Amino acid sequence: MNIRLARVDDLMGMQACNLQNLPENYTLKYYLYHALTWPQLSYVAEEDGKIVGYILAKMEEDVSEGDEPHGHVTSISVLRSYRRLGLAKRLMIQSQEAMATVYKAAYVSLHVRKSNRAALGLYRDTLGFTVKDIEKGYYADGEDAYAMRLSLKHLAR
Amino acid sequence: MPPAVVPPARALPLKESALFKEVLHYYEDRQLKKGLKTADTILKKFPNHGETLCMKGLILTHMGRREEGLELVKQGVRLDLTSHICWHVFGLIQKGQKNYEEALKSYTQALRFDKENMNILRDAAHLQTQLRHYDALVETRHTLLRLRPQLRQNWIALAVAYHLNGNLVEAKNVLEQFERIVKNVPDYDIEMSEILLYHLRVLEELGEYSEALALLDANAKSRRIIDRTAIMEFRARFLSKLGNADAQQAWQGLIEQNPDCYDYYKGYLANRGVDLDAITDETRGIALQTLRDFSQQFKRAAAPQRIALSVATGDEFKSLIEPYLRARLEKGVPSLFTDLKALYRDASKRDAIESAAHALLDSFVHAPDAPCPSHLDPTTYIWTLYFLAQHHSHLGRHKRALELLDTALAHTPTLPELYMFRGRVLKRCGDPYGAARWVDQARLLDLQDRFLNARCGKYRLRAGLIEEAVDVFGLFTKKDAPSPAQDLEDMQSLLYLTEEADAQLRNGNFAMALKKYAAIQKVFDDFEDDQFDFHGYSVRKFTVNIYLNLLKWEDTLRSHPAYVHAAIEASRILVKVHDDPSLATKSASQSHLSEAEKKAKKKAKKAEKKVQEEAKKASGSSTNEDKGLDASPSKDDDPDGTKLLQAPEPLERAAKLLKPLSTLAKGNVEAWIAICDVAVRRKKYLQALQALNHAHSLDADHPELHIRIVDFKRRWSSLSEKPSETVTSVVSSSFSKLLPDEVSLEHFNSQYLQRHPSRGDAILAAAKVSRILGAPREEVESAVFGALNATVELTFETALAIDSFLSEIQSPREDEFRTACKQRFELSTLFEPRDKLPELRKSAIQKSIVDTNEEKDEIIS
Repeated sequence: MNIRLARVDDLMGMQACNLQNLPENYTLKYYLYHALTWPQLSYVAEEDGKIVGYILAKMEEDVSEGDEPHGHVTSISVLRSYRRLGLAKRLMIQSQEAMATVYKAAYVSLHVRKSNRAALGLYRDTLGFTVKDIEKGYYADGEDAYAMRLSLKHLAR
Repeated sequence: MPPAVVPPARALPLKESALFKEVLHYYEDRQLKKGLKTADTILKKFPNHGETLCMKGLILTHMGRREEGLELVKQGVRLDLTSHICWHVFGLIQKGQKNYEEALKSYTQALRFDKENMNILRDAAHLQTQLRHYDALVETRHTLLRLRPQLRQNWIALAVAYHLNGNLVEAKNVLEQFERIVKNVPDYDIEMSEILLYHLRVLEELGEYSEALALLDANAKSRRIIDRTAIMEFRARFLSKLGNADAQQAWQGLIEQNPDCYDYYKGYLANRGVDLDAITDETRGIALQTLRDFSQQFKRAAAPQRIALSVATGDEFKSLIEPYLRARLEKGVPSLFTDLKALYRDASKRDAIESAAHALLDSFVHAPDAPCPSHLDPTTYIWTLYFLAQHHSHLGRHKRALELLDTALAHTPTLPELYMFRGRVLKRCGDPYGAARWVDQARLLDLQDRFLNARCGKYRLRAGLIEEAVDVFGLFTKKDAPSPAQDLEDMQSLLYLTEEADAQLRNGNFAMALKKYAAIQKVFDDFEDDQFDFHGYSVRKFTVNIYLNLLKWEDTLRSHPAYVHAAIEASRILVKVHDDPSLATKSASQSHLSEAEKKAKKKAKKAEKKVQEEAKKASGSSTNEDKGLDASPSKDDDPDGTKLLQAPEPLERAAKLLKPLSTLAKGNVEAWIAICDVAVRRKKYLQALQALNHAHSLDADHPELHIRIVDFKRRWSSLSEKPSETVTSVVSSSFSKLLPDEVSLEHFNSQYLQRHPSRGDAILAAAKVSRILGAPREEVESAVFGALNATVELTFETALAIDSFLSEIQSPREDEFRTACKQRFELSTLFEPRDKLPELRKSAIQKSIVDTNEEKDEIIS
């Protein structure tokens, strides 16, 4: 299992992986927008040329006065057949490192469905995220989201 | 130079001239209603003022009145052919329609009358990049830089233009000049960092590693380059290229940062003289020692261990594979088989894996009445059974695989992976209905998992159950989309579009198949358009390296397997329609549906229409709303694809689809065959022959090629009037290499059969040729029946193709053939008597959607 920076060639594979795993989907242009704005932040897990997992990340653009710069995970997922390998964790760690060193991100945020126990476990227990907020009706189907956050101060150089 | 005297038709008196300026301002601020009103005021007095007409047309387009707008703009241009404003507006509209060639022409015209207009120059540069007119791009970027040298972007854009135009040296010069004169760079400036990383790339491509290293070190130290990973990667590569002793340390540093990245191990070993892709007996030792050390240092990284398996041989391999398997089977890693699959190319490794896995299995076997572990935690035993099932099925031992799976299922009936794989095995055996049912069972074990859902949908499509597939997909698509199919198409799901297109094709519904293949084509057209905005954006953001990679990717976009497949299949349909136009007029929906299914279909269509109408109502149109210049998405006015199927010039459309393949899919035999089929019908004999030659060099014995060679000879011989002398001589000399002049077609055919007596697909091809040459039906029939001999290699796919052929020639022996196939392919359900089809289709669904929908809601609430 090869974990490396996402390339332009990988974006279609990331899109396919996303469509198979998650109900929140995007057109390719959105993936291009991420890659061409923050080329250091998105990573993929690849096996024999196939994208089996990815993290699509950015720096938050709507930052109000006085707010510290922070990263945001737009989407992260691993194909079901490639679970139990710690891929999500490895992808997240590489991306966070880049957010901290390249963009001096103070923290990283993401949204997760209230009912997604597996993901909650990953973010909260394995990666150390904490719940900052509940955003009601965040998802298109009306489900609430936990807005989660993880400080990256420990990665500052 | 703009004309010294403004043409009389353009000049406006003071009052209207001021109003015109207002129109321009209103447009810029998108105050469309005011702009329109003001424009109309001018036009009342000066109805033929070209520039005002153009601006009005532009505003109308923004308001959604596109056809009106376009008409006015065209009028305006005609009335003032030397106005840069008119041409600029026209260019904007054409650009919005994605008509880039024409837009560039308009912009070029505009520039004739206002050579130094920054907006027009910039837009022209974007168009030139899109169209890959790199010479012109360099000139445009030069002009922009000359006009505004204070703008950083203009420097970088010029360097990029040179780079794209193949002039790396000039690109480097521009960058060096820029870096010399740039001032006031703030600390930690991400843009400057990206510019420097681009500069390093240019130096790397020029092979100037010393200079690159010097630039890198100077700027890494001063913190001007802030992307640490990029610094480290460049550094390691440069040091390696220069044979510098520090290289090893550099690669080590990279591995420490990401011990899961194969490239880093490759780089480290290459630096020590070991080529991982070409291991020799000498280098093997170093490689394995190195990987062993890294495995120790990074215990949780899988990469060094896995790479070692590729490198090691013989006993060393055996000693490594056992612990590797054990660790992952104990952990319960579902992807273990796909991880190791690449090793199977080496028969001894394959056998070693089999022994190790079976040895492990034997150590786990426990009594059949031992208590089942809790349903949440399958044991190592189960994962070993699962692994071995995948192993045996991969090697064609499907019955064995099924036995292993059934043992596992008896112990742990709640593991979706077991059901999924059982379905997959059945699929490989030619039982798509059983396959779909098993995958459905997997899906039912976890209704919240979209992956299982997607698989189920795919398997239903493979079984020809298209509506049922769409129903299942619909459990995860957007509720406010007009239909699940539309949502998947909007989200560019190539997997869905391809599978449905193929399913429609198998069902004989050419219209719908063609429609879905066209949708795939459109997705790729959209991907090509996506790059446009980045021509300006990436220069503004200075993320040049990845921008260049984007252009590179776009250049070979249509080499993607999904496009190649869609183009080939669509061209085949179009060729069929050309050969038999009645196919297009026959009822589009060749239904295999029963009465009940037809009723359900009608109901669904009604519901869908309702949703569409409600969606339409919801998007009301407010009058000042800026709808932009992009062409609005057209409504679907061809729901069952008949219009597309009946559209004129099928061969020309097919040729257009196939065109990219001659460069981007050069190694694909089927692509060349498809190209030949279209060319030969368009009477382009040289092109057809060239395609045959390409196919021949790739796979001289390909059955479809054999048929085409005969077909070509017949068409060529039957030409009453040969084309020009040059063409004739080229064809004659070239073709004789494929089929010598003195050999008769019958003889050629029997020679082919003699060369491949145990290939089922060759037997079919020879039979098809016999038929073309007029052999009696009985002779042809007995030829294909020969494929049933025990010595012949016959896949169920080929058997199906033979069955199709027998049906085509209206053979009375078709049922006999199907019965024989049923016996030969024991686990297949594809040769059942046709009247069993409804029953088979029903058996593919484990549980109806209505029931499962209720269950899903329960789980979420």
